[in-house]
Amino acid sequence: MSFFEILGQAFTLPFMWRAAAVLAGLTLAAGLIGVFVNLRGLEFLSDGLTHAVFPGVAAGFMFAGTSGVLYGAIIAAALATVFLTLVSHRKVTSDAAIAIMLTAMFSIGVIIVSRSHNVSASLEQLLFGHLFTVSPTEVVITLIVCAVAFALILATLRGQIFSSFDVRGAQAAGYRPLALALVLNIAIACVVVAASIAVGNLLVLAVIIVPGAIARMWTRGLGGLFVGAVIFAFVAATIGLLASFTISVGADVSVPGGATVAMVFVIGYLISLAVRAIVPDRSVRGEA
Amino acid sequence: MTSQRLLNLDDVSFAYEADAALSHVTMSIDPGQAVAIIGPNGSGKSTMLKGVLGVIPLVAGEMTVFRPKKGRGQSGRIGYLPQDDDIDSEFPITLKQVVMMGRYRRMGWFRFPGADDRQAVADALEVTGLTSRANARFGTLSGGQQQRGLLARALATKPSLLLLDEPFNALDQPNRDALIETLKDLKSNGVGILLTTHDLELAREVCDSILLVNGTQVAFGPLDEVLTLENLQQAFEGVQVEVDEHKVVIPGHSH
Repeated sequence: MSFFEILGQAFTLPFMWRAAAVLAGLTLAAGLIGVFVNLRGLEFLSDGLTHAVFPGVAAGFMFAGTSGVLYGAIIAAALATVFLTLVSHRKVTSDAAIAIMLTAMFSIGVIIVSRSHNVSASLEQLLFGHLFTVSPTEVVITLIVCAVAFALILATLRGQIFSSFDVRGAQAAGYRPLALALVLNIAIACVVVAASIAVGNLLVLAVIIVPGAIARMWTRGLGGLFVGAVIFAFVAATIGLLASFTISVGADVSVPGGATVAMVFVIGYLISLAVRAIVPDRSVRGEA
Repeated sequence: MTSQRLLNLDDVSFAYEADAALSHVTMSIDPGQAVAIIGPNGSGKSTMLKGVLGVIPLVAGEMTVFRPKKGRGQSGRIGYLPQDDDIDSEFPITLKQVVMMGRYRRMGWFRFPGADDRQAVADALEVTGLTSRANARFGTLSGGQQQRGLLARALATKPSLLLLDEPFNALDQPNRDALIETLKDLKSNGVGILLTTHDLELAREVCDSILLVNGTQVAFGPLDEVLTLENLQQAFEGVQVEVDEHKVVIPGHSH
């Protein structure tokens, strides 16, 4: 089979469409939210969230199998979000608090998983996702969770922008930074939960952090930032999905979908970084 | 006049963990009036502004801030110029977008910027002499331009009360003069101004009253009543003060 035949075949397979739907929802939400993760330097907090979600994912899996993963993740994410928001709002030593929570939660997750009979298979699925085997129900739930995340940010967009830029000014203008931070962290948690299914708990960070970081390299103002991040996320996810499929089918080497998508994100970042180093930055002068 | 008063503080104290506290302030601002807050570093000048904004909690006394309309936030029509170092200057945003932030509260959460919003932004950029830099990335502007940009944001709010934290810092002479003119214009349009400064000369040019602070209120009133040697010595404890007819020099505060 030629490359294009394989590619054509990809679009005839229902599981590919399910994977595509999950990734589309995920990238739209992650692109938008990733911009704020980048602007506010919340990378470590996001990392903390992904690890905090893990025991929920593991517990959900143990009690209710694959279908329990999402519910467990949502519960764990909700608890962790409130905790992290309150801790990081106090500023002092928030990194230490996040790091402690991160390791504590992850060890709880590993202990839960080790109680399960089918340890290695379930652990792998939880950590690295199962993009090609998502069920129709998981697709629906993922899309709903992504839509919630997207809506939360869209509804508070102006306040989020203002308080990311200068929190004192935003507060002076009548916004409530703590409430806004909580909304943002809930949205991040939603993306983490949604992405756990597709790309897995350990690879979520690439999807959240890379699009915002790349868009920031290339844009002068806000408009390009959001549009750029979402477009990059969508294109990179599509490339990753199709690459994973064509390599698996064409070269008969089984390549995990989630990891391939994450890899494409990272490669995109490296390319962007290299090109940025060569191309002079016209945007900074802004004599347009 | 009391019913129109923009700001009224009766024996107010503000305090918050990290920031310097300020206590026992009794003062007021009427429309068209400008008040300068003068005091040494760490005397609570910025605390005063943040307290009025509600950023630093009021722990004692009574404060009344003019409310534009029922149901709207009390700070909806307060313009605020923060000190530059509170700002993330790496933020990917254009100057015009920063100034538009001043309109956010009027637009609410969902409405797109309308003609009046764009006009207010254009006017604010014009007044601050930044029209040609409108599309530049904020972080690439000079310190003085950034400060004028933030002032433009405060002006775009079309405020009734303008709070300015060290507005003359980082400005060169022509821009200082321009700012003084701008503030005089605003006053004549009935805007109340409360600003912090180290520069008594500038305070003298723009302001009608002085609030002298040193962790607590030392004095409040018309310029010449407040700027006495005794008051200044009390405020600037340990700092040498010379009062030479109209010129007051405070060594060590050469901003």
